[in-house]
Amino acid sequence: MALSFNHPCPSIMAVFEKKPQPYDLSNFTIMVVEDSLYMQSLIASMLKAFGVGDIIACENGKEAIEILTVLQATKKSRHLTTVDIVLTDWLMPNGSGQDLLRWIRAHDKDTIRFLPVIVVSGYTTAFVTSTARDLGAHETLAKPVSGTSLASRICSVIDAPRSFIRAPDYFGPDRRRQDLPYRGMERRMIPADEIKVVKNVHVE
Amino acid sequence: MSTSNDGPKKGPKIEMYKLVNNLKRRMGNQFEKQEGEGFLDPAAIAEADKLIVSLCQTSSETMGALYDQLNVEWGRMRQLESSVERDAAAQKIFTAAHEIKDIGEMCGYELAAHFAESLRDFIMTTKLNIKAQVIIIQAHMDALQITIKQDIKVDAGPKADELKRMVKLAIDKYG
Repeated sequence: MALSFNHPCPSIMAVFEKKPQPYDLSNFTIMVVEDSLYMQSLIASMLKAFGVGDIIACENGKEAIEILTVLQATKKSRHLTTVDIVLTDWLMPNGSGQDLLRWIRAHDKDTIRFLPVIVVSGYTTAFVTSTARDLGAHETLAKPVSGTSLASRICSVIDAPRSFIRAPDYFGPDRRRQDLPYRGMERRMIPADEIKVVKNVHVE
Repeated sequence: MSTSNDGPKKGPKIEMYKLVNNLKRRMGNQFEKQEGEGFLDPAAIAEADKLIVSLCQTSSETMGALYDQLNVEWGRMRQLESSVERDAAAQKIFTAAHEIKDIGEMCGYELAAHFAESLRDFIMTTKLNIKAQVIIIQAHMDALQITIKQDIKVDAGPKADELKRMVKLAIDKYG
């Protein structure tokens, strides 16, 4: 009787199946900008629980700008790290999240202007959400935060980096998250030759 | 041949930068080629949620300490006449109230979060005259004190309604 290999043992198959692994954030540096020391400590501890390698905590936008400037200037030093994601509160004295976001998006260095920014705000009004989006925030996260909500925003930034758009009145991640077919009349009147696409931008 | 009559050449109106996914690269080869949505370790997320629970165990004391700070600063602010000094004191009250609101929302102190948010928004209202501001802020401070000291959590019920009514009266009359 011939041996059949059409139905191999399921337990052996399981060994060879690629099981998706959770993201490993041990090489990440995340900057937390939060004026409330209580919330700052909480968010930093949650990020540690997620396995984030380095966390830089700042009390306001002004301090964050100073640190980002120093890190950018001394980037070549192997003792200093670069920031991968910025998590910022919106409302802070001495430099709000809005000020910080404006500064980041207006910066001339790619390592800063392309930084993913997640706005964490106790103000959950549509105004704040749309202002943050129009200033170039990647994500907004309403307080109170939970492990799941914080994880989902971080994963969203990692999963698919959105293209950055420079328009006459905007610089930041593409505000259209999906490229869905549109059945109505095309109202975007910019001809193709007025759109320049820069592919494979490496931000090192 | 020069085409000087054409005027300055126009550049593109829109630039689109398609970025290489550096964050996935940073996690190593295993993730660099991975398509679609990834996830964080559910155990790590549960651990993060436990941290919130653990921090909330001391939230009542933390809010009490913040209230005491608020009260000291409010006492100082009431004596000040210079608008510059008042603004600085108001900023400190704003920050403490904002913090009480954040902690309250996260740890289930809905009523304290409600009054703290309202106080935070009123403290920076410069259109009110000083007397009106004093009365409205004091009503918030009293309501907040009772809420925190009596450990009232929910934003409903006779006690909560009574406190809210007290603050609303002050706002309606002087706001």
